Amino acid sequence: MALPLRSLRFSHISWNKCLGTHVLRKEHASFGMVIQMQHYRQDFKAGQKHYNPKYRRLRAKKVIKIDLPDYQQMKADTNLSMEEMRAKMKKEGVSPPTPYQERPLLITCTGGVFEPYVPPEGDGRKSLLSTARLKDQYKTLEMKGKSALAIRKIKQYDEDFKVKDFALRAQELFITVNETLQNWTEAHWSNGNSKLDLSAKIKKVEDDLHDLVTERAFPDMTYDMKGKTIRWKWLESLEPPKVTHLRETDMISKENIYGQITVRMHSKQLLAVYDRFGRLMYGSETLPKDVVEYVVFEKHLSNQYGVWRLHGKIIPEWMPARGAILRTFVRPLLEEVTEAGEKSVDTEVVDASKPGDQKPLPAAA
Amino acid sequence: MAAAVKLCKPIFRCIGSRQVSHLNTSHSKQLLLSDSALPSHLLPAALVHTSSVVAARSPGGIPEGPVKWPRFNKVVWKPQEENEPRRPAEIFYHRSNIKYSPQKLWYIASWIRGLSIDEAIKQLTFHPKVGSRVVKEVLLEAQDLAVKEHGVEFKSNLWIAESIVGKGSYVKGLRRHARARYAQITYKYCHYKVKLQEGPPPEHYYTPPPTHWDMMEDYLKDYRHRTVQFGLKS
Repeated sequence: MALPLRSLRFSHISWNKCLGTHVLRKEHASFGMVIQMQHYRQDFKAGQKHYNPKYRRLRAKKVIKIDLPDYQQMKADTNLSMEEMRAKMKKEGVSPPTPYQERPLLITCTGGVFEPYVPPEGDGRKSLLSTARLKDQYKTLEMKGKSALAIRKIKQYDEDFKVKDFALRAQELFITVNETLQNWTEAHWSNGNSKLDLSAKIKKVEDDLHDLVTERAFPDMTYDMKGKTIRWKWLESLEPPKVTHLRETDMISKENIYGQITVRMHSKQLLAVYDRFGRLMYGSETLPKDVVEYVVFEKHLSNQYGVWRLHGKIIPEWMPARGAILRTFVRPLLEEVTEAGEKSVDTEVVDASKPGDQKPLPAAA
Repeated sequence: MAAAVKLCKPIFRCIGSRQVSHLNTSHSKQLLLSDSALPSHLLPAALVHTSSVVAARSPGGIPEGPVKWPRFNKVVWKPQEENEPRRPAEIFYHRSNIKYSPQKLWYIASWIRGLSIDEAIKQLTFHPKVGSRVVKEVLLEAQDLAVKEHGVEFKSNLWIAESIVGKGSYVKGLRRHARARYAQITYKYCHYKVKLQEGPPPEHYYTPPPTHWDMMEDYLKDYRHRTVQFGLKS
């Protein structure tokens, strides 16, 4: 059906600028019917050439050419790797920036767990009467060797330190840490409002969290949680908390000492993780789970303001895998690295622009 | 060339030849640089310096693109109640400073509004306009991000909820005309913003035209609300 062009919604497209395969869509705002434009050759460009091609080169010289900035390239340049950046600066004759900037640093925690505790295999899963468990219990009853030395060192700095009391305090601290983490995730709620400035609220919770958790553990806890919400609950303790391991280390100078204590906790907990849009990602708010955890606490002993804070967690290899998250993934294509060091692409070549080309994971988890 | 130049009154969008005759560019050896060069708004980009105000809005020499659009990706929603319908994921993505006319890119952006992502990519692959290539790249990047960072499970389960073109900063150039006249050329840049939403595309993106039944109902509604002037109050 041929309608006059001026009555169409895109009527300001003049007839000679219409390009071949355009077909206006079925739902038209005012007419609601299929309108088809007359087809032209795809390379037909009407009204773009001068009628006399003889002087086209002179005509081209009339345009004073300028070097247009390529913003996409400039943006890509900001993401150069170290080697590429160095090569580029060398090419341009720019000297590299000064490598060091003197600044006073205060190191209040160590970078990791020193001589980590190796939990006995099957702890929390095997029965009390198995031989393996009995052997382990015998071992843990004697806290001799380095642990005893560490206790002595800690008592030098903190006279009132008692191992049994510490275990209970550590458990309370652990509960507070998780509750504060939950508050931290809740502090990011804006409920669709992108203009809300939540930085003050978040900073307040982060300050509280920094008092409970060391600087090394903070990003481990919060980085993956950004944009997610946690609902965590400590239901009950199934076994009394136990200090299994004590160590003390020094950094830079011998007087600068840090103490690390590993505590074993057997408890019943509830955990549900929600994604950015408030949809359940992992866990459940109704189904509790029995958890055996080995949590490491650290204190900067030589610092008079040092406090016992959560430093890390020991997850042994024999621990069973946690529940799967509530979504599926497409198996990623990995590049094979040959012996020569050259990378060869996986045989399954997939075009990202073609939908449905990638294979899903096999059924068995 | 300078000797043969005529003095003439500047015409709209052209500038006087005497002012131009001292201009120097890399491609035009006949002209020479001078102090009394063109007014700055007509100079080619190579001779324009950026002031501090301009530098503040173009970090690293790159003009700033959309600022509010990417902020939407940082909003966090409260966990949903069990009776609430599942909230669809929304992914806001953009590419700024595309060397393309915003007026021309608008046609491509309008074309894909309301389509599913697969359909949009298919259409753009065969769309005759040059800008469709850029928009397709942007859609593919957005789709990738949606799966990796924004919790979208199925990459095909997305549709184009919003597809907007914004004007970028223009660069001004120059061209000669006959009879010692000059004109300005604008080299246009634009920003493309897209919002992908999880789920199947809606049947009607814009409000559909009223059906005959709708028209009948509207008529009856007005018909039943007629009043009799100076009549008895019911």
